[in-house]
Amino acid sequence: MGSKRLFIIMPSLVLTLLFSAPVLGGAPTEQIKETTDKIFAILTDPALKAPEMLDEKKRMIRKAVDERFDWTAISRRALGRHWRKMTSDEKRTFVSLFGQLLEQTYLSRVGEYSGERVSYEDEKIDGTYGVVKVKIISDNHGEISVKYRVWNKQDEWFIYDISIEGVSLVNNYRSQFNIILMKSSPSELIKKLEEKVSQE
Amino acid sequence: MGRLHGLLRYGMLSIIIPGVFLFAQSREAFPSDQWSPFNRQQMELAGLIVSSGDRGDVFIAQIEDDGAEASSEPSPAERETVSPEGNASDDDFTDDEFPEDGFPDDFPEDDFPLDEPSGIRDPLEPVNRAFFVFNDKLYFWVLKPVAKGYRVVAPEPVRVGIGNFFYNLAFPVRFVNCVLQGKIHGASEEIRRFVINTTVGVAGFIDVATNKLEIKKYEEDFGQTFGLWGLGPAFYINWPILGPSTLRDTIGFVGDAFLDPIAFIVDPTEFTLALNLFDIVNQTSLRIGDYEDLKKAAFDPYIALRDAYYQNRRSKIEE
Repeated sequence: MGSKRLFIIMPSLVLTLLFSAPVLGGAPTEQIKETTDKIFAILTDPALKAPEMLDEKKRMIRKAVDERFDWTAISRRALGRHWRKMTSDEKRTFVSLFGQLLEQTYLSRVGEYSGERVSYEDEKIDGTYGVVKVKIISDNHGEISVKYRVWNKQDEWFIYDISIEGVSLVNNYRSQFNIILMKSSPSELIKKLEEKVSQE
Repeated sequence: MGRLHGLLRYGMLSIIIPGVFLFAQSREAFPSDQWSPFNRQQMELAGLIVSSGDRGDVFIAQIEDDGAEASSEPSPAERETVSPEGNASDDDFTDDEFPEDGFPDDFPEDDFPLDEPSGIRDPLEPVNRAFFVFNDKLYFWVLKPVAKGYRVVAPEPVRVGIGNFFYNLAFPVRFVNCVLQGKIHGASEEIRRFVINTTVGVAGFIDVATNKLEIKKYEEDFGQTFGLWGLGPAFYINWPILGPSTLRDTIGFVGDAFLDPIAFIVDPTEFTLALNLFDIVNQTSLRIGDYEDLKKAAFDPYIALRDAYYQNRRSKIEE
């Protein structure tokens, strides 16, 4: 039913951070582009081309990604009302694990980068919040539209949600977490998270 | 011609039966003396239609079943705003326990109300889940191995070209639905794309319109048209083989199938089916790994897929 493209939602996240293009945008676009440029530099660095350097490459990309993605904000939105019910320790553990899961899932496709282009389409700012729209053009998957939601913390813009082809990552996990947390406790969810992360 | 008749009859049935079902459902919602098909408000409350205020401002309301969760969603106009307010929660949010996160008071919790599971009713969930498992096995045991074998013999540019060919052929569906939705610019762009790709792009194999001319695609279908006209999705259906859909989108799918040029050009039904299967295998060969990634990233892949389908369709209707 034309829904086959849905599956590319998850891996596309990495692809959005590849490659830079000339852009006329405000601070949010600029900062996202900064991160993008950094990652692109890592991906095309000849010193890191060798297969045995792949782990180091991933580590460096992770570091660059961490600078732009606000894992706490993403976790909080993904848990919705359940966030309030968790203890500080549980929150800390959850944020750390969830961030790891997201990074792992997306970085697994890093080796397949093959010259996709990113076009910065639009940017809107409303006070401390902003939206940046981007398009990834690839040969295999055609055009993918991506929307970042960002917020401003001390003059820097951080990503707190990403929507690919209209599917918000936060909402997608929210649906799943909500069902799990209706039946089990946060510590059980954290255990599930641990299992998933260690599967890698 | 006989085949077309059969298809017509089948098509009509598949529209009439769900139509009757929707009609019956709405009658249950209200006693007959109050019910009127022309009472928009009642129709909206019964989840049958979607009201639209300004263009793009769509609100879906669903009634509460006994036992099922009540759900309501904010309008997309709200969601499209840059600083979503989320929805008023019953309790105040306090950051006392986690003060170091530094969130402002108006930090949005999420785009949907707190009690909403995934935004679409799923009364058939047990059946849908069974079909989900079936499709999963079908993919790993049949479709993926075939696609992998095919991938060995056909190089990627060839497979991309074949994908372009089939995509180009689906022009009638996109064109008709652009017109039905009043998207005249989209309709004319689709004509441009079709003409250019069929001529310069050698029967559609080369997507010149996208690669060289960057003409935008307008991927409309009957499901989206019905959605724009105000028909709600009703509920989620996960078909075996065909995959995720809703009641509305399934009816739309039948409409789309009517406009499939292959069905008109190619006479024996088996050959049409074979071509469609070939298209599916070809598409899959270009996307191996995506479904696996979805499973890996998700805690409940069934829910992940259902939610992704729903969000995607909503965003396509709104654009």
